[in-house]
Amino acid sequence: MSSFDIRYSEMSDLSFLQRVFEVPKACDDFPFGPEEKDEALKNWIGFSRFKASLTGIMNDTPCAIGTLFLMPYKKVAHQASFYLIVDPDYRRQGIGTSLVRNLAHLAKTRFRLECINVEFFEPSHLIPLLQKLHFASVFRQENYVKTDGERRPRIVMEQWLS
Amino acid sequence: MNELTIRLGQDSDQRYLVEWLLQPGVLEGFPLTDIREIEDAARIWVSYWKYGAVLTALWNGVPCGIANLYLQPYKKLSHQCLFAIIIDQNHQKKGIGTKLMQELIKLAKEKFHLEFIHLEVYAGNPAINLYRKLGFEQYGTHPKFIKDGNRYIDKILMQKYL
Repeated sequence: MSSFDIRYSEMSDLSFLQRVFEVPKACDDFPFGPEEKDEALKNWIGFSRFKASLTGIMNDTPCAIGTLFLMPYKKVAHQASFYLIVDPDYRRQGIGTSLVRNLAHLAKTRFRLECINVEFFEPSHLIPLLQKLHFASVFRQENYVKTDGERRPRIVMEQWLS
Repeated sequence: MNELTIRLGQDSDQRYLVEWLLQPGVLEGFPLTDIREIEDAARIWVSYWKYGAVLTALWNGVPCGIANLYLQPYKKLSHQCLFAIIIDQNHQKKGIGTKLMQELIKLAKEKFHLEFIHLEVYAGNPAINLYRKLGFEQYGTHPKFIKDGNRYIDKILMQKYL
């Protein structure tokens, strides 16, 4: 991790997202599919304009992005959900954990959020990371995703920022 | 003689939605605070008329309630969706909500071939009784989802398989 750094995401980091999502399987853990990803990825990186997105850098190259999806209405603006993607070549090195910890700090200090949450579809490689960071399960909805006849539940987990 | 009819919603119904959201106490059931948020939410809500996914109830020819299906933008989620409903306060307790919901369920099943529809409602909202009567079951709760001033309110999550 010696050459690892984190900076605010930039709109130009869209090219990193596009590269990682070139592999159709990358969409499995997200609500959008390969044919829908272009618009979804633009929307995702759009939160960098609010400084709500962090990019992990390894050897001067983006290797991960974590983004807070800030809520548009005041009554729900004390919390936000986030997306996280780590380049498959850089997984199991603690990059995701580091990025989520920094996202939580950003949420608390810059946006004064009280809680961050994440929605994922089971099975998901995110679960060990979330458990390690003491995220708590909020709810589960069966059959939320349907692909080629396979059904997966969505699960929401959250962390209150003390 | 009083007559209740239901037609497909249209873009111009948006003004009724804004008017009803501004009625006293109504915003306690929605995550909206001011006119900017109300107009934004109403625009999104009614925009589904383009897909034929909005129904407007008329009492003697005048709009008195609106319900919509928030059709999912992504294929892997398109077998289900969230919905919303509102009845003009001046026309409540006339069975309009029940009739509008029955028509919305029919639309979801017959036109859009949805497998289930779901809703988000805030704890204590009397509409929960209507949803139960129509066969919706609670599948989860999102505690403290709303923060109104210093008061937190839970979000109740319900669904119905069609």
